[in-house]
Amino acid sequence: MSRILITGATTPLGKELISRLLTLETTEAILTVARDELDTSRFGNDARLHIEHADLTRERDVRTLMKGPVRDLKIDAVVHGPLHRSALDRGKKVHAMNVESTRSLLMRLQSHPTVRRFIYRSFSEVYKLEDHLPTLIGEDHPLEFSRKAPQRVRDRVESDLSVCALQGMIPCSIAVLRCAEVLAPKSGSQLWDYLQSAVCLRPAGYNPIVNVASVQDIASAICRALESEAQGVFNIPGADTLPLGELVSRFAKQSIPVPGPLIAPLYRLRTGLLRTEFRYDLNRARFHFNGVLDGRRAKEALGYEPRMSALAGHSM
Amino acid sequence: MKGTHPANYDAFGFLPEAMEEALRPARWLHKNYFRVKSYGVEHIPLSGGVIVAANHSGALPMDGVMLGVDLFENTNRKRFPRVVTDHFVARLPYIGVLFARVGAVGGSRRNLDSLLESEELVVVFPEGTSGVGKPYSERYKLQHWHVGHAELALRHKVPVLPVGIIGAEEQWPLLARIGGVRAFGAPYLPIPATPLPLPVRYHIHYGAPIDLIAEFGEGASEDPQLLQKAAERVRDSVQSLLTLGLEQRQGVFR
Repeated sequence: MSRILITGATTPLGKELISRLLTLETTEAILTVARDELDTSRFGNDARLHIEHADLTRERDVRTLMKGPVRDLKIDAVVHGPLHRSALDRGKKVHAMNVESTRSLLMRLQSHPTVRRFIYRSFSEVYKLEDHLPTLIGEDHPLEFSRKAPQRVRDRVESDLSVCALQGMIPCSIAVLRCAEVLAPKSGSQLWDYLQSAVCLRPAGYNPIVNVASVQDIASAICRALESEAQGVFNIPGADTLPLGELVSRFAKQSIPVPGPLIAPLYRLRTGLLRTEFRYDLNRARFHFNGVLDGRRAKEALGYEPRMSALAGHSM
Repeated sequence: MKGTHPANYDAFGFLPEAMEEALRPARWLHKNYFRVKSYGVEHIPLSGGVIVAANHSGALPMDGVMLGVDLFENTNRKRFPRVVTDHFVARLPYIGVLFARVGAVGGSRRNLDSLLESEELVVVFPEGTSGVGKPYSERYKLQHWHVGHAELALRHKVPVLPVGIIGAEEQWPLLARIGGVRAFGAPYLPIPATPLPLPVRYHIHYGAPIDLIAEFGEGASEDPQLLQKAAERVRDSVQSLLTLGLEQRQGVFR
């Protein structure tokens, strides 16, 4: 695929992806869509890069985009990763960004003349984590359908399944990449925000294994999915597998074990006072139980293996 | 899947260095407290995937610890046994973390598939928690024998090493077990007759590895009846080792 539409271009992942694709001679055109301004200087003002400002939560904008620049530039692949970064926001607008934008895009792809590949960047958060479930999370692992799940999680599950449901039903090959959490600023990472405190609380008696990814690895996985015709769901693990307590130590923070029931109110207080993003209710399960994405399918079908640590510069 | 991190944890939280640390007290118990004697250690495969199937007993799973130490010591300290635990263990504060660091793994199929594909030595107790919680009067009578280990062995084409553990069934007689408490998901709360396990002598008997594929055929994992027979084959082998071990034993503490 040589003509690519990328949504969410202003995120660290979007920028990394654009940089990577522009280094390839086979890339003929990149169309980016962003609500915010994108600084193109880091891309050397490459003529292959085209920028559109559109609000994908608006049906009219999506239609204009797909019938206009996408068709005119003969875009053949779409990389879409809906992400409302703030974990504090909720409501219809957030849902529109997380879910409806994906649906609108998919609807336009059903009869699009040029697009033949759809890469959807999903999240490991869609998987349920419980003591009786496998530690190693395969693509067939149960999803988090709990009614108690926060909107952020429910939206991600709904959006993921909306894409999965259309596999084989539209004239596009679809790859859903369920990616490990990217440990980087401005990427919506809960763990990143958690690690910004001088003191990090964790449930006493538990020190679960977490797996985190670098922006570079996720961008690499997307590039490999673009090169491939493989369809289906693929788990994309990161290179770093370590206990939560050790992750905290790597960031030179103090890890304090606290009785479980006290953590949620303490973090709610922190959020209320400092307007920080970390929400314990979003992370309760993974702060108790091990859960690591099994990347064997991505390795076999896409040739993806995590290589770049997200912890570079954070040595013990 | 290994991390790129200096301390090399696997996806299950196993850390070989932690295993070495934990082995110190466990080795002391193995040598001085339970004075473990092993028989048939030449049957333990030194390489390749293998499922070790043993009887289970003793109020607390001390038999798993002693068997783990014994396997490690008798494989030139090269094979870290991966003991399969019930799911509730992950929920237990501190204990769940300790178990994970020394190589214990929750008994989910994907977890075990991954371990066997990595040619690990996987230790299972097909009786499950009903073995640990059986009353004293039921000692050395194998409880309901689950078939999962046989299915795994057939699917992964790995041998099953039957093991009979003598001694653990008397180590900590239960006065009662309180059901319905379900603290952290544990099936019951054991009330032992003594404050500490008794210093019984363990005798661990290893049988010859069983090639279930050779005996039951490749498709046996898909046939419920053959699968049941394969599991019974392992069960009979463990029961034979127990009978032999009890005949040879000269006393609970000797």
